[in-house]
Amino acid sequence: MHLVVCAKQIPDPETPPSAFKIDPQKNEVIPAPGIAPVLSQFDGIAAEAALRIKEKAGDTKVTVISMGAESAQQAIKQVLAMGADEGVLLNDPAFEKGDPHTTATVLAAAIKKLGHVDAVFCGRQAADWDWGEVGILIAEHMNWPVAIIAKGVELQDGKFRVQRVLEDGFQTVDVPMPSVITVSNEFGEPRYPKLQQIMQAARKTVTSWKSGDLGVDAGAVGAAGARLKLERLYIPEKEGKAEIMDAETPADQAKQLVEKLKAAKIL
Amino acid sequence: MGLSALGLYGCTQMSTGEELVRESFFNNVAPPGAVYLFLAALVGLLVYGFVRHASLWMIGKPHDQPILREIPHRLRNALRLGLAQDKVRRDRYAGIMHWCIFSSIVVLTLVTAQVAINDDGPVKFLKGDYLLFFRFYGDLFGLIGLVGVGMAMNRRYFQDHARIRWDERPEDHLIIGGLGLVLLTGFFVQTFRITVELFPDHVSWARWSFVAYGLAEFVRIFDFTEGQILFAHKLSWWTHVVLAFSWLGLIVFTRLDHLFFAPVNAFFLRTDSPGRLSRIENIEEREIFGVGYIQDFTWKQLFELDACVRCGRCTDVCPANLAGQPLSPMHLIQDLKGHLANVGPLVQRAGHEHGDARAASPLTMVGEVIRDETLWACRTCYACVQECPVMIEHVPTIVDMRRFLVMDEARIPATAQQALENLETRGHPWRGTSLERTSWMEGLGEVPIFDGSQEYLYWVGCSGALVERNLPITRAVFKLLRESGASFGVLGQEETCNGDPARRLGNEYLYQILADQLVQTFKSKRVQRVITNCPHCFNTFKNEYPQFDGRFEVLHHTQFLHGAVRSGALRPTHRVDASLTYHDSCYLGRVNGVYDAPRQLLEMMPGASLTEMRRSMSKGLCCGAGGGNMWQEEIGERRVNHVRTQEAVATGAQQVISNCPFCIQMFEDGVPAVQPEEDGRLRPFDVAELLERAVFGPDGGAAQPAAAAARGDRG
Repeated sequence: MHLVVCAKQIPDPETPPSAFKIDPQKNEVIPAPGIAPVLSQFDGIAAEAALRIKEKAGDTKVTVISMGAESAQQAIKQVLAMGADEGVLLNDPAFEKGDPHTTATVLAAAIKKLGHVDAVFCGRQAADWDWGEVGILIAEHMNWPVAIIAKGVELQDGKFRVQRVLEDGFQTVDVPMPSVITVSNEFGEPRYPKLQQIMQAARKTVTSWKSGDLGVDAGAVGAAGARLKLERLYIPEKEGKAEIMDAETPADQAKQLVEKLKAAKIL
Repeated sequence: MGLSALGLYGCTQMSTGEELVRESFFNNVAPPGAVYLFLAALVGLLVYGFVRHASLWMIGKPHDQPILREIPHRLRNALRLGLAQDKVRRDRYAGIMHWCIFSSIVVLTLVTAQVAINDDGPVKFLKGDYLLFFRFYGDLFGLIGLVGVGMAMNRRYFQDHARIRWDERPEDHLIIGGLGLVLLTGFFVQTFRITVELFPDHVSWARWSFVAYGLAEFVRIFDFTEGQILFAHKLSWWTHVVLAFSWLGLIVFTRLDHLFFAPVNAFFLRTDSPGRLSRIENIEEREIFGVGYIQDFTWKQLFELDACVRCGRCTDVCPANLAGQPLSPMHLIQDLKGHLANVGPLVQRAGHEHGDARAASPLTMVGEVIRDETLWACRTCYACVQECPVMIEHVPTIVDMRRFLVMDEARIPATAQQALENLETRGHPWRGTSLERTSWMEGLGEVPIFDGSQEYLYWVGCSGALVERNLPITRAVFKLLRESGASFGVLGQEETCNGDPARRLGNEYLYQILADQLVQTFKSKRVQRVITNCPHCFNTFKNEYPQFDGRFEVLHHTQFLHGAVRSGALRPTHRVDASLTYHDSCYLGRVNGVYDAPRQLLEMMPGASLTEMRRSMSKGLCCGAGGGNMWQEEIGERRVNHVRTQEAVATGAQQVISNCPFCIQMFEDGVPAVQPEEDGRLRPFDVAELLERAVFGPDGGAAQPAAAAARGDRG
């Protein structure tokens, strides 16, 4: 079996609010000094899902691909240390500043170039922009079925039995191969790599593909191909107001509070 | 061993002319030389026991310290800790009891040897006045030995001392009872001999054997014939000899072996700071990183297992154990000892192969013999190491097994894993902090950045910069440093974790990366002197960075501030008016021996009155956060910080003062649990916060951030 994990490197979501700055002119996040980008947490979980299948099924190769800057090697190495076999970095200025659609175009081209693939595992969304679309759009490009927001994935009789998280419960579906599965945080924590594996991952070379290698039209990807346009990026101003319920007894205070909440249409 | 002082060789004296001499082989109790057969058997048994043990120790790896260097220092340890039993005396009752038994055995052994030399050697020296003195101290130490045995029996059978029951075995009764009988029968032999000798007129010199003489006078009351007495003498002689040699034989089969192992282990004791864990050399080239199999311990660690006497002092002071959490250092050592005895011989035969060791044991060492949660419950507080009377170093052994869990098996509690991942990606262990490393500087005016021109680097540390509660401490230290006129600077954004939490959690690889990096940073900035906020940073820089070629002069802030107040650079003139109790953090106190500076500092503040807790100084109890437990869920009946907070509350003090950001956090968490009522709650502060109040007054001048602000922040 050949499984592919898509991994994205994102600005650290734990950047302290005071260090998070944007450039309003360019509509861009200014990278916080001294704060290194990290692997999107959902993608780590997607890798965990693929690796568990590999452990059970045996004779399985897991390839991790990432579209991004040279620094995204770090995210790939992290998944390699967890136990993935190979890593591919899709690094080309032409890929930059796209939208979920162009990203999926590039990733799908890379998946096709990898040859036979039985399943693609993505995080349910990237933890920076939270679109939650790329996995679905890869399936669209590949013309494969997709199961999103999985909390459990198991291989059963040549199919994936996927437990999906719904708003008010769970759903179990069977997905044939090949397919795309996006994995949610309910799946569980990604594993902590053994030191042996970290060392092995450090020695592995990550393949690097550019638009030419993938045969994608540079005009159809990245900023050139993007159909979504970012109008304005800004940090919302936070405002806090406190009103003290002024009444004799706690019971009266509660009454007042209920009235206020009703008036504000919260209750 | 009390053999002949008590008549083993039959010590009769005959008055020949002027001088008293000993008559050998009184009563012809045994053919000459019979005793040497017993002695030969005993020596053979001891050699056999030693070889059997030693062959098991040899399956271990080399020790990381050259054992034959610093011999004078090591000999001093062997004398002070082995012979003089400094640590045994930390429990007074047991100390006296043990000294009685120990001194009795040593002196009576010497007495026996003298008799043997006198009887079978060329020179007869047991005569005249020395003979009288010899008889006197022989009896005296026989009596002292019996007092020791009595105290031991009292503790074991009447006081119902808890520790004794933790791992009581049949051999324990045999050891005490046996020794009592050996000493008693020794007295009997002498008694019967003196009884016979009293018939002629030798009373005056016989009185020097004051115990046996007294007994003899008693025996004389009954009208036994001389034949009966001589028979009783012979009978008690044989009983005594057989018992004494059998008892000595117990050395090979029971914990009596500590007679040899304890002083030798004191000789083996680490000569560097206990706060320094071993460095794994060439870590990138290794295949196995921690200790998951018995043969991966060093021979010294295996030797230690055999030295354990199950006294339970370690478990008695272990914070995890006190809180009902799954760690007892004594049982850990005993379980490893049992495992060594079970699998050791098989490993030995299998030629040190890992696979074979596994196959040899039905249980895996780390995980089954020693459970994961046992290893994670350790606070690395060194209370066990401090108390151990046979100088076992439990903490490095526990961390070695954690190294196996983390690096070889990647088996870590989820919250500890998050702390480690945070260290890897963000260079600090505080996941989810919304603070920056410079947040504490707000409102303090210009904060000098260290550029090599200043004398001191003020090292704030992750906890001092990124945990809300600790910012007032950091600010207080900063303001006091500035006020003292010291030349110093900080690194601000350039600070990264020095690796201590990673090392103590068992991720030596991550530790080495962080330590290497920081040593380089320090060197490139020409850092020579460091003042740390936190005792853990203090210990790491002071004791562990020399392993990475980083040698700096390191002071904890309490040490620097103590000096500044004494020199008059800081003047604590405002009254603080508070009753205080002082909590020693493990890594400033027990591990690095800094007990006095912070206390003296508190005493120099007007209006401060200090009450000590039940456990303090070297017996102080950990706050619960050590050894990476700051970032773990506690498993067990209670939380360690609740136990310690309870002890602080029990002093009746208004404030508990510490010197460590972790301890302060643990008290802040513990107080509401122990004192649900808000009024009159114990308030935790750092020494520096209190000094800030004493130097700058209750409002602290500009930008007063201390107590009130901290409370407000915490909501």
